[in-house]
Amino acid sequence: MNAFDSSGSAAVAHAILDADGALLSADPALEALHARAGGIVGGVMAVPQLATIARLARRLGIVVSRRVTVADDEADIDLWVRAQPEGERVRLAASGWTEMPAWRPSRGGATLPGDGWRWETDGSLRLTFVSLDGATGFDPFALLGRPLTALFGFDEGEDGAMPILDALARRRPFRDQPATLRPTGGAVRLDALVRPDPQGAFGGLTGTARPIDPDVQGDTMPATFTAGLDRALRAPLARIVANADSIHARADGPIDDDYADYAADIASAGRHLLGLVDDLVDLRAIEKPDFHPAAEPIDLADVARRAAGLLAVRADRAGVGIVRPGFDARVPAIGDFGRTLQILVNLVGNAVRYSPAGTSVEVVAASTEGRATVTVADRGKGIAPDDQARVFEKFERVDPTEPGGNGLGLFIARRLARAMGGDLTVASTPGEGARFTLTLPAG
Amino acid sequence: MPAVEHERGWTPDLLSARAARADARAERDLSAAIKDFLLPDEARLDDRTRHALGELVRGTIGAVEVAVRRHAARLLAERGAADRAEALLTARVDVAGRLIHAGLLRDPDMMGELLARVRQDLLASGLPLATGGGDEPSLVVRLAAAPDAVVARAAAALLVADNRRRDAAERAAANGGELPAELHHRLVWWVAAAIREPTDHDIDRAIAEAALRAVAAHDEGERADAVAMRLAAAIAPNARELPDLLVEALGDRRVGLFTALLAQASGLPHEAARAITLEPAGDRLWLSLRAVALDRATIARIALALSEAEPARDIEAFADQLDAIVAIDPLAARAALLPMTLHADYRAAIRALVRSDAR
Repeated sequence: MNAFDSSGSAAVAHAILDADGALLSADPALEALHARAGGIVGGVMAVPQLATIARLARRLGIVVSRRVTVADDEADIDLWVRAQPEGERVRLAASGWTEMPAWRPSRGGATLPGDGWRWETDGSLRLTFVSLDGATGFDPFALLGRPLTALFGFDEGEDGAMPILDALARRRPFRDQPATLRPTGGAVRLDALVRPDPQGAFGGLTGTARPIDPDVQGDTMPATFTAGLDRALRAPLARIVANADSIHARADGPIDDDYADYAADIASAGRHLLGLVDDLVDLRAIEKPDFHPAAEPIDLADVARRAAGLLAVRADRAGVGIVRPGFDARVPAIGDFGRTLQILVNLVGNAVRYSPAGTSVEVVAASTEGRATVTVADRGKGIAPDDQARVFEKFERVDPTEPGGNGLGLFIARRLARAMGGDLTVASTPGEGARFTLTLPAG
Repeated sequence: MPAVEHERGWTPDLLSARAARADARAERDLSAAIKDFLLPDEARLDDRTRHALGELVRGTIGAVEVAVRRHAARLLAERGAADRAEALLTARVDVAGRLIHAGLLRDPDMMGELLARVRQDLLASGLPLATGGGDEPSLVVRLAAAPDAVVARAAAALLVADNRRRDAAERAAANGGELPAELHHRLVWWVAAAIREPTDHDIDRAIAEAALRAVAAHDEGERADAVAMRLAAAIAPNARELPDLLVEALGDRRVGLFTALLAQASGLPHEAARAITLEPAGDRLWLSLRAVALDRATIARIALALSEAEPARDIEAFADQLDAIVAIDPLAARAALLPMTLHADYRAAIRALVRSDAR
């Protein structure tokens, strides 16, 4: 049972502790937390972080406020705790009550984009910092101490929303707020995090501003950017992965298991990023107007068998079988061999990732009505009807907490299929798996 | 070519010299490793500080180098030596590496100043934010809008100086403008010497002129610490106002203003107030807070904020001593700190004498 709602409640729970730290009285939420930590009624506060804060407040004779994370059954809970000494007693007030799920890679949200220049405000939204690399065409120093709105005019996004309003109302980070730089009229996108004080109150914003080049349309990237990305990231990432792997393998001698595991995490995150670099470079190539994949006779059944073969080891490790087209099957089609293989590797790879151990992924090739098709079916949890269109969008993932994948694979796969005169579609019933069908012109 | 470089030195006549060099290097490495191992933990720089110090040292040296090179190149170009100007602008010398190798960065004044800045910035970034509640602007923003024009001007100048300093620290683009004048002059001449061309008198002369200009252009009054001192003097808080101001300065992450207020109230030189604020043990800080007769709650609030910013500060140990600290008579505290109020050079001379007597 949880004594708070899932969004992190603003409710404040109180408790009174005596001079020895024993719980004299407590609201149900704090009493439950105390009990689950092994505390008894009227006994010494059993949640160590709360006991420490209360004791410190009593010894120092002042209010002590801190943000703490306490373990509670399966989950961790983030709390803002305030301890106020009242004579020999201490009054505890705990707010926030945000449940943190077990650690997941790439939870996202709590970081600022690396590009753009920094700015910061105090709790009254007056500017306290403007980084000088952003200040071209105006005097940033003249703006210090002035309201944030002296620097930025906030605009509505495409959907009429203003992320900053929601962020300020709910004291949460915001992303992609369109704005105009008042001193120059330049367009920027703003992202910001909330600066909390030790009691969880709003202490201002710390954010970045990314200039928007009016010549660059929408979300396409200039060629120089992806080329630079490729050059700048591939070598360092490969080094990071190689070094992290050798740390994990304890190549230089014994190290603590925890550190070896961190190194494995670093290596796997690095590999993920390398994959992303590949995809972004690919994306750039296929988004060019003059992108034309080859149109040559290929055997779709053969390509499907190869794709299944390439993923056999991974499937084996996951305890998943792959049923591939028989060796006598032939499905002539017109397309680009390499690009078709890329699509099928992506589809089979996804299917393996979402398949429970002990099930099989079925890859079936067929010729129907002048079209050549390959269907990849898995027995995973499937995709809800509302999400079925979304999986083909750029950077969209149905469940962002799932490990692996960067939300580009299916977007690229469909673009490729359509560039070859075919298509990529999905059919799925939640709970019964998903079927992706690649169609190409028959050969 | 590198390949030729590698082949050189492996001819039979040079082998023993090569072996001897390797031997000397091994000995040097071992003695450095021993020295490192024997360092007491509390004297060892933590990785964050070490990294930030490295960035600051290189950034500061780099900023001075760029300024001197640019101006010297302009002088050369004006005198019709465009080729040499271009060469001076594009020359690549690892100036920081040379200064380190020559042992110049062992200068305790220089490194003491840079290290204090790094520590002050790290401390500030970790301090818990204090909000006045509601829509109250933060301390220095509020002071910048104060009716007293002197206070308002000084506070606005501090917003600018802190912004400049933080920007330099965050982007590793130090402007070299944060050093006290004497240290800045010293650094300019070191850098000038490191980039000079011993064989070219014209370049030498241009570098010397550019260095003189850099020295003359440096205004130590613009340093964030100097600006904070001006603000503290402008506010000149009375005994009733001082406690809240000190606590609020920390809550606004303005460590420079905190030390300036402390220096102003206690009569300590700013460098001394800064040094005792940055000491993790805090003994002299508690003394100075008692010297200005702060009450128990204010001292506890300051200690709590500092310990939240730097976990190395032991708040439990402080709580053990709090009663004893509060019991210190302000006069006795002032007397104990009296040596710190003496002129810095005088104190340096006294320390040097004590050291040589001890040998």
